[in-house]
Order: sequence, then structure tokens, then C-alpha cells
Amino acid sequence: MRGISIGQYYQADSPLHVLDPRVKLLCTLAYIIILFFADNPFAYALAAGFAFAMVFISTVPLRLILRGMRGVLFLALVTVLFNLFLTPGEELLSFWIFTVTREGAEMAAMMALRLFLLVLASSVMTLTTTPNKLTDALERGMRPLRVFRVPVHEIAMMMSIALRFIPILSEETEKIRKAQMARGAAFDEGNVLKRAKSLIPLLVPLFVSSFRRASDLALAMEARCYHGGKGRTRLHPLRYEARDVIAYLIFAAFLAGMIVLIRVF
Amino acid sequence: MQLILDHVSHIYDAHTPHARGALRDVSLQIGEGSFIGLIGHTGSGKSTLIQHLNGLLKPTEGSVYADGKDIADHEYDRRRLRGKVGLVFQYPEHQLFEADVFKDVCFGPKNLGLPEKEVELRAYEALMQVGLEQEVYNQSPFDLSGGQKRRVAIAGVLAMQPEVLILDEPTAGLDPGGSREILSLIASLQKERGMTVLLVSHSMEDVAAYADRIIVMNEGSVFMDGTPAEVFAQADALREIGLNVPAATEVCRRLYEAGLRVRPDVTTAEEACEEILCCFSR
Repeated sequence: MRGISIGQYYQADSPLHVLDPRVKLLCTLAYIIILFFADNPFAYALAAGFAFAMVFISTVPLRLILRGMRGVLFLALVTVLFNLFLTPGEELLSFWIFTVTREGAEMAAMMALRLFLLVLASSVMTLTTTPNKLTDALERGMRPLRVFRVPVHEIAMMMSIALRFIPILSEETEKIRKAQMARGAAFDEGNVLKRAKSLIPLLVPLFVSSFRRASDLALAMEARCYHGGKGRTRLHPLRYEARDVIAYLIFAAFLAGMIVLIRVF
Repeated sequence: MQLILDHVSHIYDAHTPHARGALRDVSLQIGEGSFIGLIGHTGSGKSTLIQHLNGLLKPTEGSVYADGKDIADHEYDRRRLRGKVGLVFQYPEHQLFEADVFKDVCFGPKNLGLPEKEVELRAYEALMQVGLEQEVYNQSPFDLSGGQKRRVAIAGVLAMQPEVLILDEPTAGLDPGGSREILSLIASLQKERGMTVLLVSHSMEDVAAYADRIIVMNEGSVFMDGTPAEVFAQADALREIGLNVPAATEVCRRLYEAGLRVRPDVTTAEEACEEILCCFSR
């Protein structure tokens, strides 16, 4: 259970870390969207250059980011294979029932690069932003939806509680696993069915303890007069600073560059 | 069962930036039939130490021997070892999962691969030993009171009939009455069955009352190891690492310093009472 990389935060003191989370959220979103419009090597080169520049500025070791990306490797591989073999066009080479076309090879390379950059960009965002700041930004960003009676604050609160509980529950799982192993349980023996069954002594106590924690937390929140988002002020309100404006300008320049490259070639 | 720790060190998350040492060069011998108290601050390495004794953790350096065999060996049957070295974790009631109390207690012996009759016999015996009434055997463990749940959890480990019983803060979160009951239960089990008991505790009083040997941990190393009288005689050294001596010891020490002729090395309230009465009747 160790080493869950979702929402993992890398503590450092970089210009990216201190940016307003809204800037990072919005720019990452825009980056991902423009990535899907990119259709030539020049645009990809610029996008990749920008992403790697961000990695460099963030001071997060690239090795750490790449390790967190192993999970999407399988997805990328499937995408590449499908594109490689199933795109019709000018034949490059063929054997048995497989045919590789020039269009297919180009498409596959592009898809792989697109997926890689997409995950890279979002990793940089989550690694430089604490989960709490991220949900803050999300709450702010979704505020217009309140018009449609979407409980924006409650959704954001649920998200931050869920994120907060990931390390707690993973620690708890480890504890229960050890306690059951002390009673002779084995979690890595037998066939699939037996293994699934061996998880019951782990999952039942985990569920029980999650419910206990949830009810304790609810009580503690109520004891401190929590009543939802209405009229609630913040200890650290999000406020744009000069550096955030500069960051937006730099990103706008990058976007303009991307659009030019996509249009011209 | 003889357990030997030979220059054991443990580092969590070794070879990562989060690496932190939890045990430093610990050498200990845990003999037969003794009642050992293990005390130390939070983070002193107590929990890490006890998890080495049944092979849940592997030493980063050094070895652990059970009856002369290295338990880190590939062929060593660690599951059997866990049956012999029973470990009751802190808040053990959090590990209950079965539909009824009896089945939950059966979990341990069943994992040891014993025949069904033997499993049930042991579970029954263990439940009797912890003093639970027959009518709760068929109840859901989640419907019991806190103290009862803890007894069920302890019975779950006892049912494996361990030769060494390790308990990590077995009285945490219980009221004084409940704690006393659990502790005297453990003490009587130790005497009746000749088990070795290793009790991890914060309470100097509890340890002083039951243990015949005390191991004090500090920052991952063994700080002191001796009889309660030996250990509590070094009150100043204990205070330096943020631990106290039992109140009875403290009272007698101060009386002694004030010129009264009481022994300063008593460890329990009864002893202190006797000493003081003795002093005044002289």
C-alpha cells in the first residue's frame, strides 16, 4: 500500500510551489487542451520544451516524476499499439496480419508523446501543490456552478477530507495487515480465490474503522459549529499577487506560440 | 522458547530520502518464564523492537534467533513462529472481523493448520481464560463493550497457545478497573502457563507491579536492562530521558533524603506502605 503517488506533494521552495493554485490548475487545464490541438512536430517540441522547463523550475527530481508515471505506461502502450496497427494509409511494412502504415507510425508517436506530456504536466501540478490548496482552487473555480445549485463547497470539502484520509487509511491498512499476520494470516498464498478470501480479515476491520473515523470526524466538525459553506470565511483567502499575473502572462505567451505553430504548419 | 536479538538495527524506508533509524544495535536475550516490562518514550523503538521478535519486520542489520535458528532464513517457518510468539498489538480490538466472537478467536489456531476439533478446543479455552461469559461467544464482536472486545482480541492470540506473549500497551484507553483486570489476567496466565510475557507500557506503576525485569529503550537503543529495583534506583538517569519512576519509589526516595530510615529502592505501593510502617514502629 505504500508509495501511492496520486496527489503526492513534493515539499520544496520553488517559484512554482508558491504560485496561486488557481494559476496552476487553470494553466494545466489549458495546457492539456492545447495539447490535443497540436498536430505537428514543431508544436510538440514547444509543448515538451515548456513542460520540461516547468519540471526544471519546480526543482522536483525528474526521476521522481517518471517513477510516478509507471502506472500509465500500460495505457500508453495499448494506445500506441492500436494506433500503430489499425490506422489505414501508406504501407511501410507488413507481416502476417499486421500492417504498419506511415500514418499509423506518426499517429502512434504523437499519441505517446501527447499522453506523456499530459501526465507530466498534471504530475508537476500535483507535486508542487498541496492537496488542500488544490481543492481550494477547485472550490473557487467551480463557484459559478452554485447558480445551478451545485453544492460546490460540500464537494470541495469531501474531496479534501478524502485526500486527507488516504495516508491515514493506508497506515491503518498496514497496521491491520500486521495484526492479522501476527495471528498467522498469509496474504500472498494460494490461488486468486484464496487470496481474495484472505483479504476479508483485512477489509472488514478497515471498513469498520473508516466508519468510526468518519463519525468521529463528523462529531468533531459539528462540535466546532461547522454548518457548510454558507457565510464561511477563510483563514488564507486566495489572492492573486504580481507573480501570479506574471505566470499568466508567460503562459499566455506560450499559448500564443502554440497557436501560431499549429496554424502555420 | 529463547529469543535472542544479536546487534539488531532497523532503518525504515532504507535507501530512500525518508530513511529514518528506529533501532540501533540492540542486543537482548529474552529467556523463559519471565515477565518483562518494556518502557520508553513514543518513538523510542519499542514497537519496532517487538515486531522483530515474531518476524513481522526484518532487521536491516544483525539477526534474530528463536531457539538458536535465524528467523530471517528463507526456509524458516515464520508462520509457526508467530504461533509461538504471540503479539497483541495496541488497540487489538480493531482487528476483529468475524461474524461472532467464537469464530474470530478461531482465526489464529486455524491459520496454524490445526484440526478443527483442536481449533475449537483452543478457542474455547482461550475465551475461558480471559474470563468471558459463554453467552457472548455467539454474539457479534462489534456489539460488545470496549473492555470485552479487548478480551476477545487477546483471546484470539492466546488461542494459538504462544510460549512468548508480547502485549503492546494492552491497557491503553481502558478505565482503571478494566486495566487492572487485564493486567492481573496477564500476570496469572504467565504464572499458570509458564509463558514469557513482554509488556510494553507507559505506566511505571504497572510495570513495577508485575515485571521481574525491565528494559528501558531510548532513541532506538537499550538504555537500561535490569530488575525493577535496579532500574528505578537510577531515577535521575530516567528523568533525563523524560521518564519517571513509580510514585511509590519517588515517595520513599524523598523520605530517605529527608532522613527517614526507609529503603529508597522500593517499587510498589505495598512495599512502600510496609517500609513506612516499619520505619515508624521502630
